[in-house]
Amino acid sequence: MPVWIDPDICNGCNNSRQPPCLRMCPGDLIVKDHSTNKAQLKYPEDCWDCLPCVKACPIEAIEFHLSYQFGSRGAKLQPRIHKGRDFITWDAEDIKGKKESFTIRTKVMKIALDETIEDGSEGLDFSI
Amino acid sequence: MIERQTIETDILIIGGGTAGCMAAVEARERFPQYKVTILEKAHIDRSGCLAGGMNAINAYLNKGETPESFVRYVRSDSCGLIREDLVQSMSELFEYCVKKVEKWGLPVLCDDNGDYIPRGRWNIKINGESLKPILAKAARSAKAKVYNWIVVTNLLTEGDRVVGAVGFSLRNGKFYVVRAKAVLIATGGAAGLYRPNNAGDASHKTWYSPYNTGAGYAMGIRAGAEMTSYEMRYVAIRTKDAIAPTGTIALGAGAPQVNSKGERFMVTRYADIGGDGAPTPYRAHGPIQEIKEGRGPVYLDTRGITPEKVTDLKKAYLDMYPSQVLYWLANDIDPGKEPVEIQTTEPYIVGGHCQAGYWVDNERRTTLKGLYAAGDVAGGAPFKFVSGCWSEGVIAARTMGKDLSQEGLAQMEATSVPESQVDQEETRAFYPFKNHEQGKFGVQAAELESRLQKIMEQYAGGASTHYEMNEEMLKIARKKLSTLPGEIDDLVAADLHQLMKAHEVIDRIDVAQVLVEHMAYRRETRWPTYHTRTDYPERDDANWLKFVNSVKNTKSGEIEMMTRPYEQMVSGDRYQPGKKPGS
Repeated sequence: MPVWIDPDICNGCNNSRQPPCLRMCPGDLIVKDHSTNKAQLKYPEDCWDCLPCVKACPIEAIEFHLSYQFGSRGAKLQPRIHKGRDFITWDAEDIKGKKESFTIRTKVMKIALDETIEDGSEGLDFSI
Repeated sequence: MIERQTIETDILIIGGGTAGCMAAVEARERFPQYKVTILEKAHIDRSGCLAGGMNAINAYLNKGETPESFVRYVRSDSCGLIREDLVQSMSELFEYCVKKVEKWGLPVLCDDNGDYIPRGRWNIKINGESLKPILAKAARSAKAKVYNWIVVTNLLTEGDRVVGAVGFSLRNGKFYVVRAKAVLIATGGAAGLYRPNNAGDASHKTWYSPYNTGAGYAMGIRAGAEMTSYEMRYVAIRTKDAIAPTGTIALGAGAPQVNSKGERFMVTRYADIGGDGAPTPYRAHGPIQEIKEGRGPVYLDTRGITPEKVTDLKKAYLDMYPSQVLYWLANDIDPGKEPVEIQTTEPYIVGGHCQAGYWVDNERRTTLKGLYAAGDVAGGAPFKFVSGCWSEGVIAARTMGKDLSQEGLAQMEATSVPESQVDQEETRAFYPFKNHEQGKFGVQAAELESRLQKIMEQYAGGASTHYEMNEEMLKIARKKLSTLPGEIDDLVAADLHQLMKAHEVIDRIDVAQVLVEHMAYRRETRWPTYHTRTDYPERDDANWLKFVNSVKNTKSGEIEMMTRPYEQMVSGDRYQPGKKPGS
């Protein structure tokens, strides 16, 4: 499974009908179960490993995994977006436990917690 | 009863990606009197090829280069046959586009003098992790109206004019009918025609966006638009398993290709066509021959690069392809100590790397009135990558604005498409639901997809036959594919996501049929691996220095093949990449 949404951390972005991970997936692969208020990757076989979902999660509930066929579990790579939204730090750990971090300049746009369906330009809530 | 939503606009852009966003901004800035509407299959902030980010702009005129030197290079890289007018006109706008996006917030790496840092002859380095949201924000700020999650299923036509498009919303299930005075198609290319490299939960770990499924090609084919050069497929050379781009290593760290014996086979075997700098198809063809002849695996030799370079490599991948870094972490690989294994991907149809797509004039008009094309879906101009797609978006936007003003169309009432056509399209969009409701056993989109991919893989030059094909194989492919349009009537879909998947496979079948006809028609091997004809293994300029085009007859459904002449505009040997002017 290329990405994994930790159900213990995911809070469904409160009452969001269309939380950021669900909206930012280019393949329409993430769904929210409104009864449990959790998001999940419904179609892991269609995942492109592109990671907008991981970067969009406001509470870092989505882990980046490698499909098991490509290598052992245990290695980690997680992005952290800086408060100023102009840097991203990737924390890496290899299978032997060696840790390394990489900080890269970027420009991360704010992502609203929810959005109306027809039109992305109206009624946004930027209160992350 | 399906709810219908009708939208009227001046300019409709189908696909809010690289080309589409840039076209929207240009149209709104130059022609603020026109309404611009974007229909986007995903969410415009992270859709299509750029969803994960980019770490370089790979088509840029670095200091000393000119549009002519660019045309010479691209012409030789495409083995002597390109639309020189298109390649030249896009290159003239690289700087305009890159400066614009930099102004919107894209970090472009500069030296102490403020000049862009080159990464190879035509490349500059960027921190493009957020490139797509930056473009999306610009399109929204320009007041283009964006409709996300609309799967466009067909164009609307009136006589010989395209007057809009129809589709359905993945979120509310409504049927969208958009009437427009000019329509730009910018949907990207086609992945998923061939069996992917990996199975199981990595089956969509492909080079090209697996969500680009050829919709734009397919709706043009169905509407009778002329298409060109589908036979110039694209086969990417990528890192093994992670399928990450190799340019990051080859250009970023200067690592050459070697075989299992450490031999620099491009230098020893392909010296006459440029060695390591051989045309792109040969740089995929070379490694395949090594593997085929027992000298694999094939690597990029990164051994001995400094720890600083290794860190730079990792950072570059984190900007666009983080799974390469996770792959190294999970497999205890230090690219400074062991070489990076590479492989080739399944073939794609993509006009931004090769030249499959709509046949367009230099203003990016297609052969259908009212329909324009830009980006990966437009043909004839390879080596577009990101910046060339931007350029084409700009050119198309300027043309649409000009045509709307000159043709007096802007003053016209929106054309009234007969209700019967709209009704027919609605039935066509939703019939897999009906099949499901009626309890039909039917066919799942995934089943039809694997049938299509099996045919293409085994008879139409898939990876398992080393991308090779001949007349007999293509005849079998043609026959087997001809059964599929009948099968699509049985597609079932239980929800909107499945309905999208159903239309994606319908579109890919239309594209695959045209592709096979193109590959059968060109009886030469101009682009090895992209189109290796074992029965015509040589390049044949005497007979085939021309474009292979096709039109699907809207009445008979026959795919009619034709050729269009090549015109040399820029002087010089067509097979020589040329030198940097003044060097």
